[in-house]
Amino acid sequence: MSIQNPIGNVSVASNSLRAARGRIWAPGLFLLTVGAAFMFLPALARGEAGDASQAAPSVVQTDVKLVLGGETIKRNSVGTLSVVGSSLKFVSGQSKMEVQASSILDISTHEDSRQDITGAAHFTAMAIPYGGGRALALFSHKVDVLTVEYKDANSGYHGAIFVLAKGQAAPIKKQLVAMGAKATVPLAEEAPTNK
Amino acid sequence: MKHHRRSSLSVIFPIALTCALLMIGSSLLAQTSSGDSKGARKFSASAIQIEPTDPGDTPMPPEFRMAIYESLIAEINKTGKFQHVYRSGDKDAVSVPDLVTLHTTARSFKKGSQKQREVTTVTGSTSLTLAVHITDHSGQTLVDREVSGKVRFLGENLRATYDFSKKVAAIVRDTF
Repeated sequence: MSIQNPIGNVSVASNSLRAARGRIWAPGLFLLTVGAAFMFLPALARGEAGDASQAAPSVVQTDVKLVLGGETIKRNSVGTLSVVGSSLKFVSGQSKMEVQASSILDISTHEDSRQDITGAAHFTAMAIPYGGGRALALFSHKVDVLTVEYKDANSGYHGAIFVLAKGQAAPIKKQLVAMGAKATVPLAEEAPTNK
Repeated sequence: MKHHRRSSLSVIFPIALTCALLMIGSSLLAQTSSGDSKGARKFSASAIQIEPTDPGDTPMPPEFRMAIYESLIAEINKTGKFQHVYRSGDKDAVSVPDLVTLHTTARSFKKGSQKQREVTTVTGSTSLTLAVHITDHSGQTLVDREVSGKVRFLGENLRATYDFSKKVAAIVRDTF
């Protein structure tokens, strides 16, 4: 009899221990889950922030003229040129073109000048007597010409020419080169030739 | 005296007439022969591939090279002579058996000034000359010509590339 009691006590003790263990495990598991969630939350947040920074355009230039090379975009369309994520994007109205930086074979910048009076106004100015129209041709402004050579998904070679305001092409080239675009003439060497 | 004048006129007039007739006849013969030669040089191909302009030793800015390439693609598409106009490097072009390839190499380039052109009307023209080669699938030359593009008075400098491309498209029309 004296032996049975301790056994009975042991079984009671083990049951209470099990209950205690259960009581400890449940909040433990809860804490672990919450802790893990807190541990991964910053990482997730960082990831989302990273995606957001990729989606947000790093360089944006408005009033850019696409002289030629836009597949679906008309020649001489004016729009917004930006570097979004790892690609160069041009949007003009409803139409847009996008070129991945990794598919750019060469990118070059060049300085040029454009007439201030163009289009229909230019033709009208030609009618001004005593060479007045010709005098108006003296009014011009400096521009940057950005030439992008790239290949499409089928390895077809393309070229696109953009005309931007003076000094606006270099930041785009710099950004694209940083993202993996190739450039035969580095930006630093190009500056003296663009005088 | 009067009789002498009449006799000299009667000699000079038939000579002048014969000369004029001979000139007209020879020019007509030349025209027909050149027309025949054009007809004999007609080739057929279902597709053409355009290669980018080789600048060679000519210091041609990249925007001009690109403008030539893109304008050529646009203008040759407009001719309607080919089912496909492939860009350089296009993988689909490899399987075309009767593919012809258009190569352009810069020979000379002079960048003018739009402002100078429009103010003076006589100076500041932009001109470029390129060697145009069209070869067949085996590499045999079908066309070997030098073509120039110019912008003399109105328009931006890049317009010279459009002028050049129009001329190349005319050659393509005559050849295919």
